[in-house]
Amino acid sequence: MRKIITFFVLFISLIACKPSAKKENIKFTVVTTTTMITDLVKVLGGDAIEVKGIMGAGVDPHLYKASEGDVTKLSQADLIIYNGLHLEGKLVDVFEKMNQMGKQTIALSDFLSHDQIINSEMFASSHDPHIWFSIENWKTITSGLVKALSKANPENKDVYQKNGAAYLKELEQLKTEMTVVIESLPRKKRILVTAHDAFSYFGKEFDFEVVGLQGLSTATEAGVKDVQRISDFIIENKVKAIFIESSVPKRTVEALQASVESKGHEVKIGGQLFSDALGNPTEETGKYIGMYTYNVNTIVNALK
Amino acid sequence: MTNAQLEIQIILSLVAVACALPGVFLVLRKMALISDAISHSILPGIVIGFFITQDLASPLLILMATLTGVLTVVLVEYIQKTGLVKEDTAIGLVFPALFSLGVILIARNAGDVHLDVDAVLLGEVAFAPFDRWMYNGIDMGPRSLWMIGTILSVSMIMLILFYKELKIATFDAGLAASLGFTPIGIHYGLMTVSSVTTVGAFDAIGAILVVAFMIVPAACVYLLTTNLKKMLVGSSLVGIFASITGYWLAHALDTSIAGTIATVLGLLFFMVYLFAPNKGYISQWYKTKQQKTEVAMLVFMLHLANHEDERERNINHLQEHINWSKQRAKKVLRLAYQNNMIEVKDEVINLTEKGLAFTEKAISYISDNKNSELEGIKQNFFLFRG
Repeated sequence: MRKIITFFVLFISLIACKPSAKKENIKFTVVTTTTMITDLVKVLGGDAIEVKGIMGAGVDPHLYKASEGDVTKLSQADLIIYNGLHLEGKLVDVFEKMNQMGKQTIALSDFLSHDQIINSEMFASSHDPHIWFSIENWKTITSGLVKALSKANPENKDVYQKNGAAYLKELEQLKTEMTVVIESLPRKKRILVTAHDAFSYFGKEFDFEVVGLQGLSTATEAGVKDVQRISDFIIENKVKAIFIESSVPKRTVEALQASVESKGHEVKIGGQLFSDALGNPTEETGKYIGMYTYNVNTIVNALK
Repeated sequence: MTNAQLEIQIILSLVAVACALPGVFLVLRKMALISDAISHSILPGIVIGFFITQDLASPLLILMATLTGVLTVVLVEYIQKTGLVKEDTAIGLVFPALFSLGVILIARNAGDVHLDVDAVLLGEVAFAPFDRWMYNGIDMGPRSLWMIGTILSVSMIMLILFYKELKIATFDAGLAASLGFTPIGIHYGLMTVSSVTTVGAFDAIGAILVVAFMIVPAACVYLLTTNLKKMLVGSSLVGIFASITGYWLAHALDTSIAGTIATVLGLLFFMVYLFAPNKGYISQWYKTKQQKTEVAMLVFMLHLANHEDERERNINHLQEHINWSKQRAKKVLRLAYQNNMIEVKDEVINLTEKGLAFTEKAISYISDNKNSELEGIKQNFFLFRG
């Protein structure tokens, strides 16, 4: 027994003595959480900075599981940018603590004023974290982030400001284009039924009535009564299509469709929307603008 | 190795030991799944804590979770004590009830708040080094290191103080009662320690790994030894070994740390299951095989003892008389010969004196049928085993 313990102590001390291999990175390194943020920071920084996203395409940020590589990413980051409002679960607390300890972290939700954030109906201290679905919010965040990045990394100040100004124009253009597309849909028909409450900001901006089957948390499931209530609502308002989401299983939405059909009406599944994550980075939907255009086109085409 | 990596390994090792110690007793008491049950049943505690503070980050939520964990084990212990249902049924009765209470509370009152176990307990060891405890502006190290260190020290002290009582209460509750202390008190104490450890460990490393740390090391050493002290030390070492190898495997593959450690634990158990002396699969298979040949030899010798006729004992006609394959006959004959039980004269097999004595002993064994005696007889007579 003693021999085994001695072996163990040696084993552990051997590993502990392994020399650390630290890679010197000359570029300013920014670590981001969700794919939306990764995209934004890549646009702003271009080739001047190194951007490392820790969540991949199609990952639900509430249920994200970290890998060992994230440890090194986070400890070597010069700046960490995250969404906030509990989107990243307990990680938000960790980032807030890291900030107190001198590591620079930025929560995008901090750039927004109170009336730009949607509160929980029941608890004033809780907020809807899906802030990126409002283009206006995203513009505010872009301007805020340009200032914050310029302050954190003054060497690349010019790059951020140039890219930021260009991107704000793109977002402005996106807003105009999307408004045109959505205007083709009569106000009566602007009802968006999805798997979970991710689209409230979208609804607020473009005058949609948004109905989420599940609550805000992707962990709870829809109750039977919810399904009944929403299926009655769909029939009453003659909603043509309901939508599934990239980061939520489609089971509950299919249950809703079955419920509507059992009452002798028809509702089709209008397609898959991107909610908590962007698509594959090599495709158009892997970028914020591409994702937004895709979502709006899918919604409008299905509801027409 | 960076500081963060070192800290993660220390945290993992401490959690492994903190889980392994109560884990051994839980496995022995057939209550191993209690840790899994607690991971679900703490939900209502978290929800009620949130209703009181309205803040997801409040430490009260973790405190309430711990209390619900203790409530879970108290209920399980109480139901199990009635003797009406088995241990696993008692666990299965309590945790779904508590968990669904939590789900109902969320669905009715907080449908639009991101409220679940993951939102309150960190449960990801990769981020543990970044969640640090600051005291007067001085960095005191990762918070979970302190938390799990405290839990481990307390349970170590309890273990040393109550070792004898725990041992008796686990193996012989009746004796414990007759010795004048109640095993129930010890059981409640053990279950409370397990519950607090489970909740603390969840916060540090996440649910699946806690369940694995509680059960797998204890199950491994259970196959290797029956000595309680060795089991406690052994399961701690298995846990630490899996933590460190699992961590570096996760590093090499750039994947979830908890996932690889749990996988390493699973593989370790599989190896122990195959190769453990006495209880292992290979050792069991070998023993069965050995016993078959030895029984065959005994049958053969009884045959020899019962047949005076030389024709029945001719070495070339054995197959016909006992109806064995050539291979089997050879094997049995060799075993008997090696052990000096038989001698061959003019192609006729005779029992030696030793063979006769063995046969007599074996017959008397067969008539009173005591297994322990047969092993003893074999020990006395055999030079080679089958």
